Amino acid sequence: MSKSTKARGQGVAYLFLSPWVIGALLLTIGPMLASLYLSFTDYDLFSTPNWIGLENYRRLIEDDPRFLTAIWVTLKYVALSTPLKLVAALAVAMLLNRASRAQGFYRSAFYAPSLLGASVAVALVWRVIFQDWVADPDRSLLVIVTLAVWQFGAPMVIFLAGLKQIPKELYDASAVDGAGWWRTLWSVTIPMLSPVIFFNLVLETIHAFQAFTGAFVVSGGRGGPSDSTLFYTLYLYQKGFTEYRMGYASAMAWLLVLVIALITALLFRTARKWVFYAGER
Amino acid sequence: MRSLSRVVAVVALLAAAACSSNEPSGGGDVTIRFDWWGNPDRAEVTERAVTLFEEKNPTIKVDTSYAEFNAYFQKLATQVAGGGAPDVFQMDYRYVREYADRNQLAPLDSGPSKVDTSLVTQQLLSGGTVNGKLYGIPPTQNTQVFSYDFKQWEQSGAAAPKDGWTWNDLKASAQKVSDSTQGKVKGIVDFGGIEDWFEVWLRQQGKTLYTAEGKIGYTAADVQKWWEMTDGWRRSGASTQAELTTKMDGSQANDPVTQKLASSGFGYDSGFTAKTWEIMGREFKLHPFPSDSSKLGQYAKPAMMFSIAQSSKHKEAAAKLINFLLGDPEAGKILGMSRGLPANAKLREEVGKTLTGPPAVGFQFEQSVGSKLEQAPPPPPKGAGTVKSTFQRIYDDVIFQRMPIPQAAQKFISEAQQAITT
Repeated sequence: MSKSTKARGQGVAYLFLSPWVIGALLLTIGPMLASLYLSFTDYDLFSTPNWIGLENYRRLIEDDPRFLTAIWVTLKYVALSTPLKLVAALAVAMLLNRASRAQGFYRSAFYAPSLLGASVAVALVWRVIFQDWVADPDRSLLVIVTLAVWQFGAPMVIFLAGLKQIPKELYDASAVDGAGWWRTLWSVTIPMLSPVIFFNLVLETIHAFQAFTGAFVVSGGRGGPSDSTLFYTLYLYQKGFTEYRMGYASAMAWLLVLVIALITALLFRTARKWVFYAGER
Repeated sequence: MRSLSRVVAVVALLAAAACSSNEPSGGGDVTIRFDWWGNPDRAEVTERAVTLFEEKNPTIKVDTSYAEFNAYFQKLATQVAGGGAPDVFQMDYRYVREYADRNQLAPLDSGPSKVDTSLVTQQLLSGGTVNGKLYGIPPTQNTQVFSYDFKQWEQSGAAAPKDGWTWNDLKASAQKVSDSTQGKVKGIVDFGGIEDWFEVWLRQQGKTLYTAEGKIGYTAADVQKWWEMTDGWRRSGASTQAELTTKMDGSQANDPVTQKLASSGFGYDSGFTAKTWEIMGREFKLHPFPSDSSKLGQYAKPAMMFSIAQSSKHKEAAAKLINFLLGDPEAGKILGMSRGLPANAKLREEVGKTLTGPPAVGFQFEQSVGSKLEQAPPPPPKGAGTVKSTFQRIYDDVIFQRMPIPQAAQKFISEAQQAITT
């Protein structure tokens, strides 16, 4: 390839990339930087924003008991929904991996809730099915957790792909060695699958921190009863879009970004101890 | 190279497709935008009234759009912030000061945006007046009302409300209904978390929700007393249990009265529409609030208002549209009770003659109580909407017994102070 055709080839590449680049700059990175700036202001949608330094962050941490409630509710949700969802996804993936007939059908059937689950319609159905629980502050969060766990389709498909990658010889070898089901699971499946588990864990944790639709629909946007479903994102939404405290909401959004970054970093740290990549060591 | 030009062509095509939008076809010299909140029923009659306006004013074209209440205010806020406010829009009592203080509304009593204020009952104008200037004019009014399933009450032997009845009278009757149905149907919906009814109770004691300066007009002790009363009703079984109360979100579907789990409740008389009896599955009678003093506490409330944007380039045309919607007899006939009882006395009488069913009951109530109604308080301060939702949220802590009442009342007051000052 001559130099000029190579350059032209790159030009075409960038041209094809341009819708994404333009979209990312205009619709994601630009607004993110704007919200970082606004988080240091008293912006209320109508008036010119005034610089108030760290005041929004100080108020969040010192003067806002609902902010702490929202963090507590969200942490409970993440801690409950993420592991349950991954266990459900892995269990179903292992079942599907064994089935030879009609696998395509079952795969689609189990994946369907994930396609539907993010929609408002299913959350509404959920609200009706669990209407007695929704009204009880001790159980309302569980309704939203079950809604999330039910949508295990995406990690399931990834698990299924991962399971198919595990060399059959390993299972044959463990069978020859007389390993039972549990032993095989612990010594072959989980270690071989650990990169995929890690990938799903990181992704689902981040998703869980950002959960919104379920809580919004099930609680009718209020986060009730008694703030028992006041997710972080729901509180952020209330501050920004019903109280017009956009500066304050921006500060909340950036704190969430920081927390998610921190937790992801922690997960990567622990990954060294338990994630096994073939070809390592 | 050919492939590159093809790509360029596709991109250009996409860009062109993205840019072409459905521009409304122009029909007059001036086009104004009119936005409101409401349901499709209201939309239909509003469209018809607007079409009539365009026929009578061929130089003005009106573009309309509407949404549900919450979505409407989110959209309006974004539009106003972006400098693209509609010329005429529906405004709520709780938001008028917020928008006026931020200099987004044009005065309706002076300048090019002046409207004919003689069209509406004068008592109502105070509700749209901020710092001595009128920023919102109500097309319709309503007032607080108590409604009860009178057949159920009769069967239970509960005493019907009468003039001069007290809160204890109401409790005794509600208790009778609950007892006679073994608690299956509660006498009344637990109303302790609704700021609107708390306001009436406060006014009966000569207090107000907000002072003229926009400060909170009551103390934690008042909230505590109110909640101790309503919580007592819940505990004795006179009113609905916590699991039902917490679900109330203003919709008919989640109202225990609609579900036939409660036989009475407070509301606004504009809520009685042609289909109310059908939806409720039974008929209701209306009565003024109970009171322990000589004061009734109820007032003529602007059900909603019309405002003109300060940024509007066609303020005269906008004012013309408002005058038409408020005063034109034909428009009045078309609009009927779609926004509540007309605030224009002449239209009200005309509309009243044509009513049947629940709206007629609402209309008769409004006429009978009219002379006892007080003047609407000035619009509440910025943050009042948050205070209202906080009131209901913290009442949940009371009914689910998550917090002792005095502590809940304290918590509410401190959050309310924060909401209106910061």
